[in-house]
Amino acid sequence: MGDVLKQAFINERGEFSLSYLWVVFSNPIYLEGLWNAFVLGVTSTIVTFFVALPLALMAYRWDFPGKKWLTLLILAPLVLPPFVGAVGVRHILGVQGACNSFLIDLGLMSAAVPMDWLGDGKFLGVVMMNALHLYPILFMNILAALGNLNPAMEQAAQNLGASPWTRFKRITLPLCMPGIFAGAAIVFIWSFTELGVPLVFDYTRVAPVQIFDGIKDLNANPIPYALVAVMLTISVGVYVLSKIILGRNKLSHATKPKGNVQERQLKGVAGLFVSFNFIAVFLLATIPHCGVLFLSASTDWYSTVFPESLTLQHYQDGLGHPLVLGSIKNSLLYASGATLLDVVLGVSIAWVVVRSKIWGRNVLDALMMLPLAVPGLVLAFGYLSMSENGGMFSWLIGSNGNPALLLIVAYAVRRLPFVVRAAVSGLQQSNVALEEAAMSMGASPSRAFWRIGLPLIGTSLIAGAILTFAFAMLEVSDSLILAQQAEHYPVTKAIYALLSTLGNGHEIASALGVWAMVFLGVAIAGAFALVGRRGGNLFRF
Amino acid sequence: MKKYWNKRIGAIVALIVVAVSPLLLQRPEAMSRSEADDTLVVITPHNETICSEFAVAFNRYWEKKTGKKVYLDWRTPGGTSEIRMVLDSKFANADENGGVGIDVFFGGGEYVFEEMAREGRFVPLAVFQSQPSWFDGENAIPQNYTGEQYYNKEKLWVGVCLAQFGICYNVDTLQRLRIEPPTTWDDLGDPKYFRQISIADPSKSGSVARAFEMLVQQKIHEALASTRREPGEDESMRRQRAIRYGWADGLNLIQRIAANARYFTDAATKIPHDVSQGDAAAGMCIDFYGRVYNEGLKKENGASRLQWVAPEGGSSLSVDSVAVFKGAPNSKLAQGFVEFLLSEKGQVLWNKQVGAKGGPVRRALRRLPVRPGVYTKQNLIDFTDPEVLPYINKPSFIYQSEITGPVFGSLRYIIKNLCIDSHRELQAAWLALIENSMPERSLAHFHDVSYVSYVKASGGMSNLLASGNKVEIAEVAKRTTGVFRRNYKETATLAREEGK
Repeated sequence: MGDVLKQAFINERGEFSLSYLWVVFSNPIYLEGLWNAFVLGVTSTIVTFFVALPLALMAYRWDFPGKKWLTLLILAPLVLPPFVGAVGVRHILGVQGACNSFLIDLGLMSAAVPMDWLGDGKFLGVVMMNALHLYPILFMNILAALGNLNPAMEQAAQNLGASPWTRFKRITLPLCMPGIFAGAAIVFIWSFTELGVPLVFDYTRVAPVQIFDGIKDLNANPIPYALVAVMLTISVGVYVLSKIILGRNKLSHATKPKGNVQERQLKGVAGLFVSFNFIAVFLLATIPHCGVLFLSASTDWYSTVFPESLTLQHYQDGLGHPLVLGSIKNSLLYASGATLLDVVLGVSIAWVVVRSKIWGRNVLDALMMLPLAVPGLVLAFGYLSMSENGGMFSWLIGSNGNPALLLIVAYAVRRLPFVVRAAVSGLQQSNVALEEAAMSMGASPSRAFWRIGLPLIGTSLIAGAILTFAFAMLEVSDSLILAQQAEHYPVTKAIYALLSTLGNGHEIASALGVWAMVFLGVAIAGAFALVGRRGGNLFRF
Repeated sequence: MKKYWNKRIGAIVALIVVAVSPLLLQRPEAMSRSEADDTLVVITPHNETICSEFAVAFNRYWEKKTGKKVYLDWRTPGGTSEIRMVLDSKFANADENGGVGIDVFFGGGEYVFEEMAREGRFVPLAVFQSQPSWFDGENAIPQNYTGEQYYNKEKLWVGVCLAQFGICYNVDTLQRLRIEPPTTWDDLGDPKYFRQISIADPSKSGSVARAFEMLVQQKIHEALASTRREPGEDESMRRQRAIRYGWADGLNLIQRIAANARYFTDAATKIPHDVSQGDAAAGMCIDFYGRVYNEGLKKENGASRLQWVAPEGGSSLSVDSVAVFKGAPNSKLAQGFVEFLLSEKGQVLWNKQVGAKGGPVRRALRRLPVRPGVYTKQNLIDFTDPEVLPYINKPSFIYQSEITGPVFGSLRYIIKNLCIDSHRELQAAWLALIENSMPERSLAHFHDVSYVSYVKASGGMSNLLASGNKVEIAEVAKRTTGVFRRNYKETATLAREEGK
């Protein structure tokens, strides 16, 4: 990040200068790009909130048909490599794609004037894709927050005659605010800086795309770095502001639950209606997955609802490629290492932010959101330049050029906000009095935290760790730039390399994408299965 | 408890099964690092197919020649723009020999190779001494062909295969839109193509920028041929006037094509893919992408929905090149690799059919060798594209670097301001013109590119870009984009008024 700021504020003569920044603020194109990114961020966060909150509340309060699987299935967006998803979306929403073919077959659209969803959709398309990709982050955070609520408080309100709406507005919502805030902050910054989705919809007048275009400019343009600095400031500013507004939670240190909330059994039409909502979100969110799945097995998929005919050849070509097996091993190593590092760092930082009285802990909290706000490509080139001969991070490169440590650090830094936010919200909701009680009985602060504090935030931490692992497995920018030798490629770089195969590159990449989806799906489902009841109220199997 | 353990074991088993499933389908690697005697590090924008086929073929060649096995360590950070960034970063921290741990740069056009040669990153190629006949005499690689440079004057890089920009189009989409198949660059400026064109971003690729340069140069050639001397004008003045007219005509054509464009992508493969899927009707793309997609989409009756044509009189034949880096860890092997690429074995690999003697193992590459000497009757029997004889069917377009070469950088800069940064306003103006039947005054206003005339592009603008003053370059870009955005907004208003 220091490298980014250096490029943004140091001119070609090596002097400090605000002139690049001035160019950004005086250019209406960049200002419009920043504004569009901001509006995209806000709108996407609002839409994501309205998708995730009802789902989380339904999952928390009611038991309905298929709940066990539906609550797991709606996490599907977490398992798809983003650029493979883009390939799938284009085959579904393209002019001659499956969606138009379906509407034409039904007689609802003229074949002579098909709809151009990707070309016409732009802003709305980007918001919907962002919301459908990011709602699991907010869903998991809200559900973890709800799981930490003390049901006695709601019951007390009910006894005093509060209506369900009043209880929700006055008790449930304020109490879950740390969880909502944790998720919404990530969703906002993510969609504010999102690059892939606007590129799918060719929506170019938005700051992340302008940065991406500028960085790749052959003229070595410094303006994108100034634009990154502006985006960083806005991200932190919005984070701090929303924390001031949303984070004033007088109830956050309320007593902890003594038992699980009683789920209401929903039967008949009501139960089916709730299940239907989950299925509808799942189906919408898996449009890219369906595209990838069909494409991976298609001989040709054009102007038809389903592929013309099916083949397994692309799986043979993709999974059988010499790059693949090693890349799977590498990805597992890098993603596990990054997750472990993040859990250790995340818990320590969260403890400092929530429990300690150290000066500047709020600044530390805000700084922890920065890795989300820096475009992946910018961070990746920063790491690259610092890991070259004699650079600050050159020791992270092994003697044979093995970038494992560097990639673990890069992945960990990029996904650290997930664990920090999860751990902070967990600590805010857990009762410090329990740790104090342990210490009054003679336990050291570290022992009290290890035996009392940590188990209490276990659910939040697991949610954060799962997100970190999944996104580390799917990390693109760092992988493309930092894994330079074929034997060190992670899965995403192997997919990217095979995407360029002549003729059926998209199909081969999709076949590997399907493998990644199945693997992450099994990993996430397995993690929840292992955690089970012991892990708390996140998912009740 | 038992259920819990079953679940735990089930989850772990399922995970292991999925993780190792690719093992069942594994094909052996051409050569692993541990088996090899030597390693050659190659940075390349070439696709995976080219890398894997050349790894197999080079190993066969080198083992026969020296008895040693080589591991080709491909470094593929992306396209040429990513490679430039990676190399800039590496050369900023070069080792004591000036090297960066990479032996060879393989693939990419003249622009990026010339730039790096100027920066002193390459060493002279030994092949010019060891195989002088390949560069001199009959059937030698020409130093220039169709006006393009095929090897560097100081022999720091050399082209190994040919590349030609052209037009790919989707037959079905053209039929639906009732458009005749395009044959010239001009056709892509037809308003019937509104939002149906797929093009690449010239600010991110030297090869794409060269394609736009050719388009401008074609207009200059036409102006030079059609402009007559005016009273009091000598030949030089006539020529300068024709170049100015041609330049403006070329920019106007780029404006129209850009107004028809859906996007300016940085991914070269996106163009033929989107066209083949019907998301765009036509696009500007390189020849071998067109051939590969055409072949891949052929039906039983031999028809393919994707076709590729070289635009009449508007496209030269350039090269994809190779060079050896200064301080290469394995310099001798690197020079051997370059020699292999230019040998008959290395050359025919570009166009032989799969399974033919000396051909690729898995996929045909559909590219054209640079050495005229390998287009023999015997080789052509096994070629995938024997009818494309680049040195016999010479394109009518001859690139003249002296006309547009000095303004190459300015042209990229202008296109960015004129079309890319102001794309939304450009499209809105073009749509207003289409909806109002192209009213004359508005169209003239739309086409007013006097702000970026040839005189300005070759004078002040070129000097500014050469100065490297980033702030001033960005300021001028802001002003230029502002001028054209305003122009396009005025055009839209004017067109609606004229159309009433």
